[in-house]
Amino acid sequence: MIRFVAFASLAIALLVPPAFGQTTDPASPAPGNPGGMLPGTKQSASSVPAPRQTNPPDQAFIHSATVGGLAEVELGKLAAQKATGRAVKEFAQQMSRDHSAANDRLSTIVKAVGIAPPERLDEEHKAMQVRLQQSDGAQFDHSYIQGQIIEHQKTAQLLEYEIGSGENAELKDFASDLLPTVLGHLRMAQAIAAEMAQQAQAEVPPTNREKRK
Amino acid sequence: MSKRLRVALPLAGAGLLAVAALADPLPPDATYRPLPTLPLDAVKALDEAQKPQVMQRQQALFERRYDLSNRPIANFMMSGGRKPVQGGVRVKLPAGVTWDSLSAMGPNEIRERGLLPAGFMPLPHVKQATGGQVFPNQEIDEVGRQELRNLRRFDVDFDLSDRFTPEFPPPIFLTTHPELGDVSHGQLLTIKNYYQLMVGLLTPVQMEGMRLLLTPFPQEEFNQTEDRKSADQSLGVTCLDCHANFHTNAAFHLTPDIRPQAARFRLDTVSLRGMFNQQIHGSKRSLRSVEDFTQFEQRTAYFNGDHVSAQRKGVNLPDRFDQVPMMAQMQNIIDFPPAPKLDPMGRLDPSKATQQELAGEQVFLGKGQCGQCHAPQTSFLDNNMHDLKLERFYNMGQTVNGQVALPDGAIKTLTLRGIKDSPPYLHDGRLLTLADTVEFFNLVLSLKLTQEEKDSLVAYMLTL
Repeated sequence: MIRFVAFASLAIALLVPPAFGQTTDPASPAPGNPGGMLPGTKQSASSVPAPRQTNPPDQAFIHSATVGGLAEVELGKLAAQKATGRAVKEFAQQMSRDHSAANDRLSTIVKAVGIAPPERLDEEHKAMQVRLQQSDGAQFDHSYIQGQIIEHQKTAQLLEYEIGSGENAELKDFASDLLPTVLGHLRMAQAIAAEMAQQAQAEVPPTNREKRK
Repeated sequence: MSKRLRVALPLAGAGLLAVAALADPLPPDATYRPLPTLPLDAVKALDEAQKPQVMQRQQALFERRYDLSNRPIANFMMSGGRKPVQGGVRVKLPAGVTWDSLSAMGPNEIRERGLLPAGFMPLPHVKQATGGQVFPNQEIDEVGRQELRNLRRFDVDFDLSDRFTPEFPPPIFLTTHPELGDVSHGQLLTIKNYYQLMVGLLTPVQMEGMRLLLTPFPQEEFNQTEDRKSADQSLGVTCLDCHANFHTNAAFHLTPDIRPQAARFRLDTVSLRGMFNQQIHGSKRSLRSVEDFTQFEQRTAYFNGDHVSAQRKGVNLPDRFDQVPMMAQMQNIIDFPPAPKLDPMGRLDPSKATQQELAGEQVFLGKGQCGQCHAPQTSFLDNNMHDLKLERFYNMGQTVNGQVALPDGAIKTLTLRGIKDSPPYLHDGRLLTLADTVEFFNLVLSLKLTQEEKDSLVAYMLTL
């Protein structure tokens, strides 16, 4: 029996990457506040939550991150076709590429924890999709980029929330890895929006500009 | 139904739909403190079991970032004459660069090559997910001895070596009694001893202010509820538990002004010396009087800017018309330590200062640009907040020990009077020595100082 237990723990050690709270590497997911741990949470030997469990923040994160990730890919594909500005088109292609990779990693983790993730866009993102489908030209580019700024702002806060309040080390690791990229996307979208605003201003004849004041 | 109303109603419906469609917010605990879910004994057992690992993680971070060895500046002590000042640059360089080669690069190159020294990055709380006030052992021991009040947490310990904290207990200088010098008698002021130490020195109003500043009140980690981090039902903490003897003991917590938790930066306790000349208060809030700040600390330093949690644990709100002004008046007579080499305008007296110190003053006011914000004539303050934009040098959003490295934004200018007494430096205590601050600003402001200029700046700051 003892031998079996030893073997079983060895097998678990091999299966579980060292990121599960047993490391002292400051880059690994940090321990949470046990004050917010749900009763009945299983713990590993080191008194950290055992792997493959989720707490309510993890579950909220899985939902919002999955829907947001789906929307990024769908809207990215749409914008890659419809955008007229080169910068917007390239940005859209990158969103669809980067977020596909992130979605794959997230979905692997989610499968392992046994939660059924949302498979379709929610109302908010569907409405955004419809709005974009109905607009064209410069208006489309503008709407897409403005939407992307808000989406990436929200995603950054969502990732920070998971890093601080989540319990599942794989999800926290995922959030930590993704956050710099998402903040990078946000800066790109803001730069494109600033560029578009400048162009729009330049296209208005000076006399009209005076009048608008 | 009137025609106008019939038109208006569908429009209102559309508005509601638009609002509903946008409703995808974060859960409430992204802003508010969640209610506890486990009984205290279960939380305590878990916290205690995690503690060795929590401390090892932070120790690993400190050792990666800093040279923590004991290298005091020869023949030089803090104002009370009890503790040496640590010298030398302690922030470690990344492999393959020197301070000179680094300062020759622009921010973009440093960011793209990942070369910003880790010690220049924001410093995480020892346990970022929990945060809260953490006191140095000397404070815990002395308050325990005098008051039998427990300031020890079961989940974390203080994380920084005593070498890099202010002398303890710090001396106390009063603007009302410059002739006396340090009036602390070498003791830590507490509710137990303040009366006998201060009667005859202070006015009744100042005495009452001091009593309130030394009276423990419930705090987020030290209270009666199951959501606490002290083993016993705690009487709470006092203002001077962190601002020991109206200076600082380097106790730290997390800024109450930012959410979510991972984005909050660490706050090193600021000294209250020279409060009489400080016009803005709080690193982020820029409150306009020490009265405002004193009143609101019960919501912020005590309860993380969460008035809901404060209400549950037993907040004490000092009376604005009576108690707050007395607490403010007491704080406003706390003086800086003597700086015998400075003249009344805050400039070095050439008959007293060394050549190196005078050279340092020239760098401070000229090439180093320090004096633009730390103006000598106004107690080395400018009563403004500034954004150093450190994020030009690193990729935002990296997670280190549970904290996400994000731009600090505008932070208030802190005084440099008596600065040798106040390690660690910067609002979060990420810099351990004055030489570290010189290298930090040399890089951030692209100053290109020579080694001689850097050394003279340190010598100058030691005179302040």
